[in-house]
Amino acid sequence: MMETDKQTVLVIPCSGIGKVHGLISREATYLVTDELAPGQTQTQCLALLVKGDADAVTAVQSHPCITIDGCPKACAQKNVEIAGGTLVKSVRVVDAFKTHRGAEPGSASGLTNDGWTIAREIAEAVTAEVISRIADREVAP
Amino acid sequence: MSEAMQKVGIISCSGEEIPEGTISRLATRRVLELLRPGATVTLCLPLFLAGNEAERDFARTHPTITVDGCEKQCAKWGTEQHSGPVSAALVVSEILGGPCSACHRSSRESGQAEKEAIWMVAERIAAEVDAVLAQTTPAGMCATASDGEGCACSSPMPGGTITVNGTKVPIAGLPLIFEQCAGQGVPAESSGSHDLLNVVKIYHPIPLDEEPAYQEALLAAYQQFRRDV
Repeated sequence: MMETDKQTVLVIPCSGIGKVHGLISREATYLVTDELAPGQTQTQCLALLVKGDADAVTAVQSHPCITIDGCPKACAQKNVEIAGGTLVKSVRVVDAFKTHRGAEPGSASGLTNDGWTIAREIAEAVTAEVISRIADREVAP
Repeated sequence: MSEAMQKVGIISCSGEEIPEGTISRLATRRVLELLRPGATVTLCLPLFLAGNEAERDFARTHPTITVDGCEKQCAKWGTEQHSGPVSAALVVSEILGGPCSACHRSSRESGQAEKEAIWMVAERIAAEVDAVLAQTTPAGMCATASDGEGCACSSPMPGGTITVNGTKVPIAGLPLIFEQCAGQGVPAESSGSHDLLNVVKIYHPIPLDEEPAYQEALLAAYQQFRRDV
C-alpha cells in the first residue's frame, strides 16, 4: 500500500472468484477508491493481509477499514478482524440484492448494467460512511 | 468423480491493489469458462485462507496451479501453507515481462492492453493445465464438462457453431475468440482466415486435412459476427 494519512480509509473487498457477488464487491471498491473518494480511501490486497504481511497487518491496524463481502461467509470482514484491524463498517453484497429482486447482474467475469447499478449503490453507501467519518473528525475538538 | 478423471484447481491471488491482480482473476476465469472447461475448477482464495476445509481438502487431493499478480505470490504461499506443494506457480508480471503499466484495476476501464494481457496469461495457464493433466491422467481419460459435477465456478461459456462441409460443429467460446480477433484487427476477409484458423486451433482440435474447410467456415462465421456487432 502507498504512503497514507492515518485517516485514509481502507476499503477491502473479498473479490470472491466463484460468483458475481465477488466481482461486485471488487468493482464497488474501485468505484470508491478511484472515483467517489480517491483522496480519502485506498484498497488493500486481502490475500497479502491473510498471508500475514507485516505492512498489510500494520495498515489495517492503523487505518479505519470498511470491508465489502460478496457472501455471508464474510471472508474480508473476518480476516480484517483476525488481523486486529480497525473495522468501522462491513457491507455484504448479498444484502444489496434484497432491493433488486430479479436483477441479472452478470457473472463472475463481467457485470451487466444491473450489476453496475448494484456496485454503484454499494460504493455510494461506503462513500457516505467515509464522508461521515471525515465530517466527525472535523467537528471533533 | 472417477479418480481417473482428474481436475485441476486454479487459485488466483486476485490482488486488489494492482492491475495484475485483476488480470490473474480474469485469466483464471477465462480458462475455466473457455479454454479448459470441465478440466478445471477454481478455489476462492480468501475462503481457502480463512480455513474452509472443503477448499483445502480439494487442494490437498488434486493438482493445483496458482496464479499470482506479483512476486509476493500470496496464492502460492497460502496453498502450500495449508495444502502442500502446488503443481505450478505462475506470476502475471513474469508472464507479461514486467508490470502491466497500461492496464487498469477496474474492468470499467478495460481496453486493448487488458484484453491482450488476459489472453496471454490465460493461454499460459491452459498450457500448464495440459502439462499437469498429462502427468496425472491416464491416457484416454480426461474430465469433461458433462460429468455432472461442475459448479458455478467452472461452468463452460456458451459457444458458437460453424458449418464445416455441411456438418454443424460446436466450438466453445467462439464469440469470445472472434471478439479477440476483432480486437487484434484480424480482417473479415480471406486474408484473415488463416489467423482465425490459428486462434481456433488453440482451443479446438482440427484435423490437418479439414483445415481448409474450417478456414472457410470460420471466415463465414466471423463475417457474420462482425456484421452483427
